[in-house]
Amino acid sequence: MKKWILLGIIAIAFLLRVWNIGGVPASPDWDEAALGYNAYSILHTGKDEYGKFLPVVLRSFDDYKPALYTYLIIPLLPLLDLSVVAVRLPSVLLGTVTVFLTYILARILLKKDSLALLSAFLLAISPWHIQFSRIAFEANVALFFNVLMVVSLLLTRKKPWYIFISVIAAACAIYTYQSAKVFTPILFFIVIALYYKEFLQISKKYITAAVLVGLIVIAPMMFYIATNRQSLLRAQTTSVFYDTSNLADTTAKLAYDDAHHDVLGKIFDNRRVFYAQEVLLGYLSHYNLNWLFVTGDNPRHHAPNMGLLYLWELPFLLIGIYFLLYGPFERKSKLLILLWFLAAPVPASITTGVPHAVRTLNFLPTFQLFTACGLFFAYLRLSEWKITHYWRYGLVSLIAAFAAGNIIFYLDQYFVQLNYYYAKDWQYGYAQAMPIISANQDGYKHIVVTNKGPLDQSYMFFLFYLKYDPATYQAETKNASGGFAETHSFGKYEFRPFTIASENPTESTLFVGRPEDVVGGNILGKVSYPDGTDAIAVADKGTPHEQK
Amino acid sequence: MNKSILLISIVLLAFFLRFLHLGDVPPELNWDEVAWGYNAYSLSTDLRDEFGKFLPITYLESYGDFKPPVYAYLDIIPATLFGLTAFATRFPSAFFGSLTVLVSYFLVINLFPKSNRREWYGLATALFVAITPWHINLSRAAFEANVASFFIILGVTLFLYAMRKNPWLLALSAASFALTLYIFNTPRIVSPLLVLLLALSSYKELWNKKKQVVMALVVGLLITLPTVPFLLSPQASLRFREVNIFSDPDVVAISNQGIANDNNSYLSKAIHNRRVLYSLSYVKHYFDNFSPDFLFIHGDGNPKFSTQDVGELYIWDLPFFIAGIFLLAKRKEGKWWFVFLWLIAGIIPAATARETPHALRILTTLPTFHILIAYGFVTSAFFAKERIKQWRTVVTVTLVILLVNCLYYLHGYYTTYPYLYSGEWQAPYKESVAYVASVKDTYDQINITRKLGRPYMYYLFYTKEDPRIFRQTAIIARDPFGFVDVKGYDKYRFADDVFTIPTDSKKVLYVTQPGEVPETATIQKQFPLLNGQIGLVAFTVDQLPTKQATESAGKKR
Repeated sequence: MKKWILLGIIAIAFLLRVWNIGGVPASPDWDEAALGYNAYSILHTGKDEYGKFLPVVLRSFDDYKPALYTYLIIPLLPLLDLSVVAVRLPSVLLGTVTVFLTYILARILLKKDSLALLSAFLLAISPWHIQFSRIAFEANVALFFNVLMVVSLLLTRKKPWYIFISVIAAACAIYTYQSAKVFTPILFFIVIALYYKEFLQISKKYITAAVLVGLIVIAPMMFYIATNRQSLLRAQTTSVFYDTSNLADTTAKLAYDDAHHDVLGKIFDNRRVFYAQEVLLGYLSHYNLNWLFVTGDNPRHHAPNMGLLYLWELPFLLIGIYFLLYGPFERKSKLLILLWFLAAPVPASITTGVPHAVRTLNFLPTFQLFTACGLFFAYLRLSEWKITHYWRYGLVSLIAAFAAGNIIFYLDQYFVQLNYYYAKDWQYGYAQAMPIISANQDGYKHIVVTNKGPLDQSYMFFLFYLKYDPATYQAETKNASGGFAETHSFGKYEFRPFTIASENPTESTLFVGRPEDVVGGNILGKVSYPDGTDAIAVADKGTPHEQK
Repeated sequence: MNKSILLISIVLLAFFLRFLHLGDVPPELNWDEVAWGYNAYSLSTDLRDEFGKFLPITYLESYGDFKPPVYAYLDIIPATLFGLTAFATRFPSAFFGSLTVLVSYFLVINLFPKSNRREWYGLATALFVAITPWHINLSRAAFEANVASFFIILGVTLFLYAMRKNPWLLALSAASFALTLYIFNTPRIVSPLLVLLLALSSYKELWNKKKQVVMALVVGLLITLPTVPFLLSPQASLRFREVNIFSDPDVVAISNQGIANDNNSYLSKAIHNRRVLYSLSYVKHYFDNFSPDFLFIHGDGNPKFSTQDVGELYIWDLPFFIAGIFLLAKRKEGKWWFVFLWLIAGIIPAATARETPHALRILTTLPTFHILIAYGFVTSAFFAKERIKQWRTVVTVTLVILLVNCLYYLHGYYTTYPYLYSGEWQAPYKESVAYVASVKDTYDQINITRKLGRPYMYYLFYTKEDPRIFRQTAIIARDPFGFVDVKGYDKYRFADDVFTIPTDSKKVLYVTQPGEVPETATIQKQFPLLNGQIGLVAFTVDQLPTKQATESAGKKR
């Protein structure tokens, strides 16, 4: 019976993650396109778009992100070709496995099958987890590895050879996602510190071997970090200390303190105090109820009118935290879940743009564990409550109806409304523009494409949809830079800002841009967003000699 | 240690923190404060408010808003004793704010009557209320919400005490609750809710005390009755209609689009009902009041309510607040559940408004946050006492950290806060009024900008204008929505653009913002903010500038 329920939950999880995976969200964003094309490039040439042989870190848009996800796409390419489905499928599959791992994790920690099934089910339908399991975001794969690491570390206590899985999973997490470099070691040491007595009893052979395996697996990354200073670039530019524009108040206060010889003021108004406040705020912002339940952050990180968790879960989350703290569970299990919950926002707290649903994806599945506890104990209490059956069933059906309504609302917001409202945020339009361009391009020597928002990094989408030969591309663009405002060119394509009115091409040129870029041109075709507004226009200058 | 000495010291500390430099920090009076002060003055002169209404009881008309009037009456004695000054205007708020600390102690004693730690809970609550930035900020300006909060806490305390000791005191509790309806808007929702909760919590005991209950009901109803017709009138809901979230037309558009995207399916009409989105919006505004930024880091975004670098509570409070929630829910002492329900109920009216979080409108929750913090702190301290030998050191060090938090806040409050935010407190008015009044006789007319907000009231307040003269000479325009616009009185004329005011004579003095001063003007005097920026300029012109010239002068800034 339990097995069938579990299978059912996993089936639901897989269905919710795979259904219409190529169509919702409506378009890959630039990072997804880049992951796909780099996989394609490595498959065919062994090198990434910048000509780097088997990269450990992808330079992609000068982000310098760990490259593991790209390698997960490669085996799917012969089967599915370079497509949105191929790019997103690793996340779908590992996201589904995370649901299964959550079941195992909950069973080990909470020792109750019903709680474990409930936790897995809640993760299966979690808006937060569905969101990132349906797109090629490395954070979701890193989450899988983190949960795998914890589960296998816990299993190591009984079967020592699991230690190898946990060490490799930890290393894989670090090869997958930037913030795992901070979070994975924290999580690893939380588990070790809690259960150190049991780990000390494992034979030294295993531990030595595991340390060795770990060192070997992580060596290339260490070597890369030691030899490449750019790898720290991304970490620097997203940190709160990098942005000095918000120091104006502090500067004004310090000037006042100086003028008034206020020694205490110089201490209190110190920049370090200000940064400490900002970091603290960054951390705490992830416990903002609105962010969690109502608004979310970036439109790419949630469905319209939805937060990251269901509103109906809130009371059970609170009840669940209470009962997890005071309930009949092992002390260490309680501590592990609680510390995991408290450590999850640490990597994100020193970055700008908080709260951030991707950098704190490692919150999962702690919210689900709490909520499962809440549901379980609320039901238990309710059945002990001295009220008539009518009241009891009435109350349960009321809550169930609210939860069901909430879930249906979410599914509609995600599968129907998301494409309508957030198509622009998903950089919609390239797939639809490609046929227009290829139908018209024959008469033109050049094709100029804008790289102004929302069409930034347009070159990558063209590489992706054209399946442009990676060897040719690498040869054409030696030493190209990946910065945000850079122009790119390959073949007869050129990617730079333009307005058609101020362009005077000597040779026939086709222009692809935003509606405002092609004003005054001869419009050959248009792509609209699902809400009917114009997304991309294809045009030429319209002078007589260019017309066919 | 003698606990009553501790309590007295805490209350004295509360008075000290609320009265120290009350007249000059915050630097000047905001427009609601001068209105309270002047109306008190007006009432003390001839028992009429600024517009001549005789002893207003149900509402005081102020800038087109219909405010509960009690604060003006409370201000009469201070205004008579100390004159029409900032100190006198703020006195009732600071006074009742300080007493709130005392009554909070007795509230806690009565919430946990059987706990042997009740005095410690009470002392800690009193201390935390005494030093909390939230309550200090709001006690140091003439905010009527602060007085309302005192009477709510008093009402709850009297109820609990009456149930335990002397049921006849129920009448006093009822009087206290009923009075809050005449003090501030949000209690009109919160007070009835709290009375209902209290009544439900002890309905069995109330049933046995019929005489006293009837007495309390009579007292409560008698006090409430005069305002009932007003509460049902459109004026009473004017403010609500201005600020509420349920009139957002976008919600209807989004709901309809959502249904269209679902091809008008039946189910879709249910889940995209506009009430769903309005509820969601309400929930959002409700949760805003629990935002960590608001509570613990920067406080209310409005610099009138917060210094912007400390939360409404201290960051020190956070761990004890969370501990308090769990410990109180676990230990279930006394009327533990009432603390939670009060906190939840106190935010209900504030969440219907667009501006959230809002320190003033959720002041009705006071002191529930502090009870939870105190509960968390005291319970942890006792826990330490049982487990750790050096528990005294641990507790002392913890309190020293709180002291550092407190000093950080107070230091900012008295130094950089007035310096940076004097503009928010309409700082240039006082000096400019003093100057204009001193040279008034040499001009035929004085044209004053309204862009800093409600100048006429500052002229009335700072020149202590006789209200009878104001009522005789005032030029008042009322629009059909009830908004009052004072266009001038005596020699003073007020408008957004000072050059549009008709001037028959030539001797006109202008007072406006620096960006609007024409190049041909002869500057008479400039009035800086505390940070040195010029806030207002008084000048004369030989020739009125044309419309274009004013605009170009404006653009240059």
